[in-house]
Amino acid sequence: MIIKVNNLVKRYDELIALDHFNLEVREGEIFGLLGPNGSGKTTAINCILSLLKYDKGTIEIYGRPMAPDAYDIKRNIGIIMQNVAVFDELTVYENIDYFCGMYIFDKQRRRELVEEAIEFVELDSFRKFLPKKLSGGLLRRLNIACGIAHRPKLIILDEPTVAVDPQSRRKILEGIRKLNEEGATIVYTSHYMEEVEEICTRIAIMDKGKVIASGTKDELKGMINSGEKLTVEILEFNPNILEGVGSLPSIVSVDYNENNNMLVAKSRRGKNNLSALLEYLRNNQINVGRIYSEPPTLNDVFLEITGKELRDHV
Amino acid sequence: MQVYKALFKVIEKNLPQIIIYLIVFIGVAVGLSNAGGNPADMNFTATKVSIAFINYDKSALAEGLENYLSKNTNMIDIPDDNEKLQDALFFREIEYIIRVPKGFGENLMMGKAVELEKTAIPGSVSEVYLDNIINKYINTANIYISNMEGLSDKQLADFVEKDLEQKAEVRLNRKIEEVSRSQKVGIHFNYMAYSLFAVLILGVSTVMLVFQDKDLKNRNLCSPMTIRSMNTQLILGNLTYAVLAWLIMTLPGFFMFGSFMLTAKGMLFLLNSLIFSLTALSISFLVSILVKGPGAVSAAANVISLGTSFISGSMVPQELLGNTVLTIGSFTPNYWYVKSNNAIAGMADVTLKNIMPIFYNMLIVIGFAIASLAIALVVSKQKRIG
Repeated sequence: MIIKVNNLVKRYDELIALDHFNLEVREGEIFGLLGPNGSGKTTAINCILSLLKYDKGTIEIYGRPMAPDAYDIKRNIGIIMQNVAVFDELTVYENIDYFCGMYIFDKQRRRELVEEAIEFVELDSFRKFLPKKLSGGLLRRLNIACGIAHRPKLIILDEPTVAVDPQSRRKILEGIRKLNEEGATIVYTSHYMEEVEEICTRIAIMDKGKVIASGTKDELKGMINSGEKLTVEILEFNPNILEGVGSLPSIVSVDYNENNNMLVAKSRRGKNNLSALLEYLRNNQINVGRIYSEPPTLNDVFLEITGKELRDHV
Repeated sequence: MQVYKALFKVIEKNLPQIIIYLIVFIGVAVGLSNAGGNPADMNFTATKVSIAFINYDKSALAEGLENYLSKNTNMIDIPDDNEKLQDALFFREIEYIIRVPKGFGENLMMGKAVELEKTAIPGSVSEVYLDNIINKYINTANIYISNMEGLSDKQLADFVEKDLEQKAEVRLNRKIEEVSRSQKVGIHFNYMAYSLFAVLILGVSTVMLVFQDKDLKNRNLCSPMTIRSMNTQLILGNLTYAVLAWLIMTLPGFFMFGSFMLTAKGMLFLLNSLIFSLTALSISFLVSILVKGPGAVSAAANVISLGTSFISGSMVPQELLGNTVLTIGSFTPNYWYVKSNNAIAGMADVTLKNIMPIFYNMLIVIGFAIASLAIALVVSKQKRIG
């Protein structure tokens, strides 16, 4: 186990930021910590990194207790924080060299690692640029390079794609996958469920300082009653259709959008839900246009467990 | 030494602003030092007063007096017309009128009291000076008359003339020159207090603000570099910066005052300014913990450096400041630093007795450094806990 957190409690006066928070991260995985803003993701990361004192609980990294002076543990960790943390006065190269130099003392080795990091985040043309001359996306890539240049075994990324354009986001996600393939264990926090769903091998969903569910994508989706979302284009709509579809045993809820003529039905977990719906429509001689079937998302998981949309909080 | 190197890169990026302060300092310091009065005049030349000499006695002694006065005064030829003489006196063409009455030489030879008619500007220095010169001639003549019998008036006039040709060599004490130079150096070092303060607050606060940035600080804290190592490098970096700033600011002194800077007094000035630099560094560190952003750094650098310099005598001499201002000023290290500079400048000799009060002042300045550092550490810890 790379990270093991047991019953972590962190209070800010009356506010409980972490409420008996538990976490286990295994070697070689990309572990996603998903939750709406304010759910306690960053607080949890700061406690794990010993940047914040906590009131109760234990944190172990590589099987040893994590503490502010656990320098041997810190040597193997790379962090990429939510806010870009670089020196405005130093160039791209100097920034990466500075942070790499905190871990690697051999100059020749450091030079090689800095070059590799620059290449990895594709900032070669910008090596002599000051950070203020970089766009938001490039700045995020510099932030990542500063965190990974020393080739850490464990990389913690706290919302690294906030306010990043789609192209840079794509590069960042590809980079994370590549780092994982090269052997690094990744802890990735985000409130973007698509990103977490795309790259993470295991996921913990957080709300109000607690892990409310954890597992692989499929395990999480298997925890809920909802099945796929069925969307059918109906050009000649009448309210009886809603009533009829809603009465089908495999359907949990149904709605119709008059703007795009789409009927959206949420099915129960089970097989042949789409067939049952189509059969009903055919039997009632209702003409249909386009048909989509989408598997349940992490948002559905969050919705079913907490009763609220994950997106509502974004 | 990552932190140490990064610190200087941060300072390097803020160098233009710091250089402006240095250029202003060097410009003003050179100007102030040269405006501190001309160097002490080390040559002596007797002054010559313009007089009118009207002689009604044709004796050898009267002619001898005229001859003697012509060597020690500027004789202006004005006819014996009362109105013309009064006009010349009024317009200061002459400052003294002397009339030698008939029988002057004869009366002098006979040992009688002689009277010369004089008109002078009342209470003037020239009146006293001329009275002295004339009395000197008559008194010398009287000495010969009293002690040598049978002298003719021609012989007497020759003896007196020969005696009065003897001149005393006047040499001014070198100490006067030294004190004058010391005062100039004192002005230079007094003004340095302002620039040192400004440059140190600007540099140290800018650097500390960068390293205290929450995100950067967190990233540094996640690294395996110990907090002790990070702090040591920061302290070492700031100390290097302070010493460099001090060295650069003392250099103009070496150019302007040359070998004086290598004398005991020059060394005292240097020691005093070095101690002040370290105190300014300590205060800058405290300021860096209290200020919130780059704008506040600039404001703090100006307000603190200018404010303390004005009330402590760095710019206006302490003798010209009121007691209340000086009392307030004594709560700043600048006051004691300037006091030491003034004491060094006014010292005729470097003796233990003379330098002890200066060392006490230096101790007070060091006290300010320790107090500021202690407050900075307490505030810093409080902030960290908070």
